[in-house]
Amino acid sequence: MTTLLAQNLNSELADAVFREIPVLMQRLLDTGETGTIDLRSLPMTDWDRQQLATRLGEGEVKAFVTVGGTSTVTETQFAGVWWVRHEGADGRIAAEQVVVARAPEFLLAHPADIEAAQRRLSAILSGSAEAQFEEAGHG
Amino acid sequence: MAETRTLGELLVERGVSRRAFLKYSSYLATLMALPPSAAEAMAEGLAKARRQAVIWLSFQECTGCTESLTRAFSPTLEDLIFNFISLDYHHTLMAVSGEAAENARLQSMAENKGKYIVMVDGSVPMKDGGVYSTIAGRTNLETLRETAKDAFAVISVGTCAAFGGLPHADPNPTGAVAIQDIVKDKPVINIPGCPPIPDAMTGTVAHILSFGKLPELDDLKRPKAFFGETIHDRCYRRPFYQRGLFAKSFDDEGARKGWCLYEVGCKGPITYNACATLKWNGGVSFPIQSGHGCLGCSEPDFWDKGGFYRPLPTPLASVREHVTEAAAAGAVLGGAAAWLARSSQNAYKSETKKSEEA
Repeated sequence: MTTLLAQNLNSELADAVFREIPVLMQRLLDTGETGTIDLRSLPMTDWDRQQLATRLGEGEVKAFVTVGGTSTVTETQFAGVWWVRHEGADGRIAAEQVVVARAPEFLLAHPADIEAAQRRLSAILSGSAEAQFEEAGHG
Repeated sequence: MAETRTLGELLVERGVSRRAFLKYSSYLATLMALPPSAAEAMAEGLAKARRQAVIWLSFQECTGCTESLTRAFSPTLEDLIFNFISLDYHHTLMAVSGEAAENARLQSMAENKGKYIVMVDGSVPMKDGGVYSTIAGRTNLETLRETAKDAFAVISVGTCAAFGGLPHADPNPTGAVAIQDIVKDKPVINIPGCPPIPDAMTGTVAHILSFGKLPELDDLKRPKAFFGETIHDRCYRRPFYQRGLFAKSFDDEGARKGWCLYEVGCKGPITYNACATLKWNGGVSFPIQSGHGCLGCSEPDFWDKGGFYRPLPTPLASVREHVTEAAAAGAVLGGAAAWLARSSQNAYKSETKKSEEA
């Protein structure tokens, strides 16, 4: 008897997710509303995940964000369809999503961060000793 | 101790961007089966929240629950939750501080009246005036009543606190009871498990911080996000169950091939917990993946349910028959098996009760 390995089974979820993506793309075009499919919340097998990744392929953009471990944001061969993978510091996958958007929210700078950065930059330009000390890498 | 700055402001001071909130929230949304869109709302909620005062009480327990929490998944991601809370008192960790620790508890209670969360691991002995477990000369019952009085909510961590656990097992020599048997006038959340999954503890606290309210609970006061499905519902060996392929012993061909452990006593079909998805030891494995059936440790009275190696009572012939019928009808296979699992849980409870009465 051939040994059955559960992770090699095709649960057909890859096909279901693949068919949902153009629906989300149409919604983005019509209303501007972004969409996210949480891959880790689905009981996908390794085979399913590999199958989906192969069908989506890779496009022009690949970004790495280092915050609490590495996050990788890859645009697939379909414009506006992104594969987002968040890893913890130990390299284990914490979250994995297919995001349908012009750019994933995760890549955009938050207004609160821009505000803090603007204050910091202004302090450097105004010659604050403390800010210059920090800019020199001593902060 | 009372913190006035928001978590967002605190992290900005440390040079941590809002992306950290979004990443952590995406992780939590996955864990808690929230809609992916909830991650952004959760991140905004966390950024606006203030550090949550937490008082941790330890009663009749083995400290395994605290050990579990300190082994939460990702050091950097879970570090965030430790930035989100102010652990003002932890009995086990602060034991050597003696009176100073007790004063810290009272100070936190006064400064955060009505807002602090009490986390408890361990059951409370009621027999003989509660003399079987005392801290600083006071019984656990006295300490719990005093501390819970002005709390926002009480979280029972581990099966001992949630349902009595091992101290409550027959013949229960100390008269151990669960926290929910004592605290009746405050919201109580149970996060059972022996020990509980660390992400279930941190995720529940993060949910309260993000949304300012308790997560949705089941009839045993467990967060549905982590206890909404059985181990069996999400078990990677379930395809073998559906094909009727079972290990008959721990060293037979079925066991070596990783078949379903139903016939060697696995309690996965009647146990609600997230071990099969979140797993243990940084996601390495969980008991079934390591070759042993689920013991059902997140269910009440799991010690007294007739033996860890006793198979559940539903006749397997009928499982195969129903699954085959469902498949023939074009139905989702899991539906039939899940229905049978729930029927099995009821049958198991009924059978155990009968044997206890006899």
